[in-house]
Amino acid sequence: MIDRIIIEARLFRCKKNALPESICRYLHLNRKKIPAKTPLADIRFVVFDTETTGFDIKHDKIISIGAVSLKAQRIDVSDSFEVLVRQDNVGARDAVSVHGLLRKDIATGVDERTAVTGFLDYIGNSVLVAQHAGFDIAMVNNLLGRHFGVRLFNDVIDTASLAKRLEKGPYYNLAHKAGEYKLDALCERYNIRLHDRHTSAGDAYLTAQLYQRLLAKSRLSGIENAGTLLMK
Amino acid sequence: MASNTIVERVAADLSNYPPFDVLEPAAVQDIASSIAIHYHEEGEMIFRKGDTLREAAFMVMKGAVRLFDSIDGQEVLVDLCDEGDIFGVRAIFGGSIYMLSAQVAEESLIYEMPAEKVRALIAASNAVSMFFAGEFAKSMQVMERSLTNAFDQHKLRYSEQSCRSFLEHETLEVKPVTSVITCAPDISILDAAKIMSDCNIGSILVVSRNNHPLGIITDTDLRKKVVAQPGAVNERPVRDIMSSPIYTITGNKTVADMVMLMVKTKLRHFCVTEDGTPDSALVGIISEHDIITSEGNNPAVIMKEIMASEQVGQLKVERDKAENLLRIYIRQDVAVHFISNIITEINDAVIVKAIRFSIAALELEGMRMPGIPFCWLSLGSEGRKEQLLRTDQDNALLYADPPSGREKETHAYFVALGRKVTGMLEQSGFVLCPAEVMASNDEWCQPISVWIGYFSRWILTPEPKALMNATIFFDFRPVYGDTTLAAELKKGIFEEMSRGRGFLEFFAKNALQNPPPLGFFRNFLVEKSRDHANEFDIKSRAMMPLSDAARLLIYEQKIPDYLSTVERFQKLADLLPAEKDLCLEAAAAYEFLMRLRVVNGLEQGGSGRYIKPESLNKIDRQMLRNVFSTIGQVQKTLNMRFQLDYIRD
Repeated sequence: MIDRIIIEARLFRCKKNALPESICRYLHLNRKKIPAKTPLADIRFVVFDTETTGFDIKHDKIISIGAVSLKAQRIDVSDSFEVLVRQDNVGARDAVSVHGLLRKDIATGVDERTAVTGFLDYIGNSVLVAQHAGFDIAMVNNLLGRHFGVRLFNDVIDTASLAKRLEKGPYYNLAHKAGEYKLDALCERYNIRLHDRHTSAGDAYLTAQLYQRLLAKSRLSGIENAGTLLMK
Repeated sequence: MASNTIVERVAADLSNYPPFDVLEPAAVQDIASSIAIHYHEEGEMIFRKGDTLREAAFMVMKGAVRLFDSIDGQEVLVDLCDEGDIFGVRAIFGGSIYMLSAQVAEESLIYEMPAEKVRALIAASNAVSMFFAGEFAKSMQVMERSLTNAFDQHKLRYSEQSCRSFLEHETLEVKPVTSVITCAPDISILDAAKIMSDCNIGSILVVSRNNHPLGIITDTDLRKKVVAQPGAVNERPVRDIMSSPIYTITGNKTVADMVMLMVKTKLRHFCVTEDGTPDSALVGIISEHDIITSEGNNPAVIMKEIMASEQVGQLKVERDKAENLLRIYIRQDVAVHFISNIITEINDAVIVKAIRFSIAALELEGMRMPGIPFCWLSLGSEGRKEQLLRTDQDNALLYADPPSGREKETHAYFVALGRKVTGMLEQSGFVLCPAEVMASNDEWCQPISVWIGYFSRWILTPEPKALMNATIFFDFRPVYGDTTLAAELKKGIFEEMSRGRGFLEFFAKNALQNPPPLGFFRNFLVEKSRDHANEFDIKSRAMMPLSDAARLLIYEQKIPDYLSTVERFQKLADLLPAEKDLCLEAAAAYEFLMRLRVVNGLEQGGSGRYIKPESLNKIDRQMLRNVFSTIGQVQKTLNMRFQLDYIRD
């Protein structure tokens, strides 16, 4: 409900041409939530991952976004997305080497506004899926807020939580054994061959394969539409 | 715009398997960028027989999918696909519905390739086009054309070397190249490279001041050690990158010596020095190229040595050399029919020589040749000119009917001759036949009237088990002596056969005893009965069904020539226009199997008969699957032709 109020307020600014077209189109698409009875096979999921300069939501920046879509259990390579974000003030910080992105790569990327509007065009009103989704969503929201005063309104699924929910039930305390639900550990458990770790697109592709298996598992637990999957 | 990282990842997975393994990276990336990845749990159906075709073909990236037909409510397994196998290709070539059902046999990751993309790829690439034509034929369950295509593809992969001619040549020695380009160890890499490029040579020898060899620099060294290193290495001295020490030998080495050395050391260059050590002056160099193209490395030379030999011991030496030759030919992918012709010539020469030695030896013992013509017969695979490896000897002796009163002494002489010859062949490396089907056996050393009696019994009162053991006799071929005797025997056989047609049906039943397996699934052989076996007997499961079929048809057509299985199928292709394609496919299939068996036999040092499925690569497995379907088709044709009530399984 609050989402709807914010969306309408921002759309009002669109009427005054105060926001870019991509943002307005995105807001339009997200006015209505996905109906709870929508069958899983009809939902377009966008599995994504961001790479950042660090883990501080307030100060760190996104340096790349990678994503791939999944619909009717099929990962669609032709419908995938990858963008490098130019960050001028990136120093020799740890995250940079971890992500395998050289500073010159980051310098060749596009600016934050172009990157994020491209991403919004790509996701539309799809359900977003990410490993430890909270962090990635917060990073994108931070960027959107700074530039456009908006945030993401999509439904979100966190693969770590979904795995936990399917394996242990919804009330298991994740905090105890966080290690079990890291991407590496989950991939190993679900028999997914690891590769390309630490590029956002590579991780998004791994996460998509993981989510594909989790969806197959959810069907066995009677999860068959948007309502039961998103628990709303 | 698709994500490059993901596309590259998918492309890397695709290019592990045919046909994508031979495509340009850009073409693989193009198809990768259009792929959808589907995950299935065990038991899920991907499509069912009768479903409308999807606009995609499928590749198993992980897991396994079973394809089955439903006939009267019964499921009949048609194929089991594992990693890298492509199925559902009907969609690419049109049609309306699936002819088979595809079910996930264990949790699987399936790549869906849009049909239009695959069509574009087929239009652009010959290799892909032939690959899919083969896959398509399989999916149609019409096997006629699949194999020819698969073999064309095989040829694309392994470019076939042209056959060598039988050139007469005197020497067996490999002549080293004596005008060797050398350099000092302290010249720069750049200078060495310049010399190599100026003289257009692939390697340069590094020598000391007094011309002792120190090492060698080859193209490979330049590529791997120079180009691969960062920084300015060009100015460094050649001694830093040369391969050292170099293998030194004395001169006057024979081809056989060099081949052995090459196989043993896995080196490509050998340096000839005055005393064979690195501490004497350089004389010349012998490279792999010199050894392989050496005129001494010639079957005619081996033949000549065999014919000129004076002792039995030499026969083994020369036959061992022939095996080296076989190794080289196989490594160079020389056509199998050419190899088998050569090896047969050599085997025959060994036999001829053994017979001559034996006659002389018997004479020394006071046994004189009775003035009665005889003919030495090779049987079984040697009779079919297919004995590439020295497996069991199968032979027989046929002589003209002696005048009455001389039967006993004649028989005694020829049995003695048979014993001597088989003994000598054993010394030359041909194992004795465990079933004693040899000329040394009383039973198989007989005058022509007795032989015609044997065949008459097999033909007129055929008994399945006896017939099974007798098939090798039907492949007899004269190797020494009076060949008119052999021709007479063949004529006698045809006469007996025209009296009893029932015999051909027995022969046909025998040829259908072994239905081929479906293919391989990982390291297992997939049988129609759905059982898996982990050991593959290439002789009884693939070669015998084909050689049995060829023999049957060639006798049905009353062809008197002494032919190999491949030659038989080629002949049959002319004689039976309706089965032309199938016959040619069967011929190609048999050649493929012979090569596979020889490669396996040379690697394992045995008969090569049992193949470990894990030693086969993906393309060999796919080839074998095509071969199996050809065998199935051949058997189906025999079944109809001889109207057998042959019930599958």
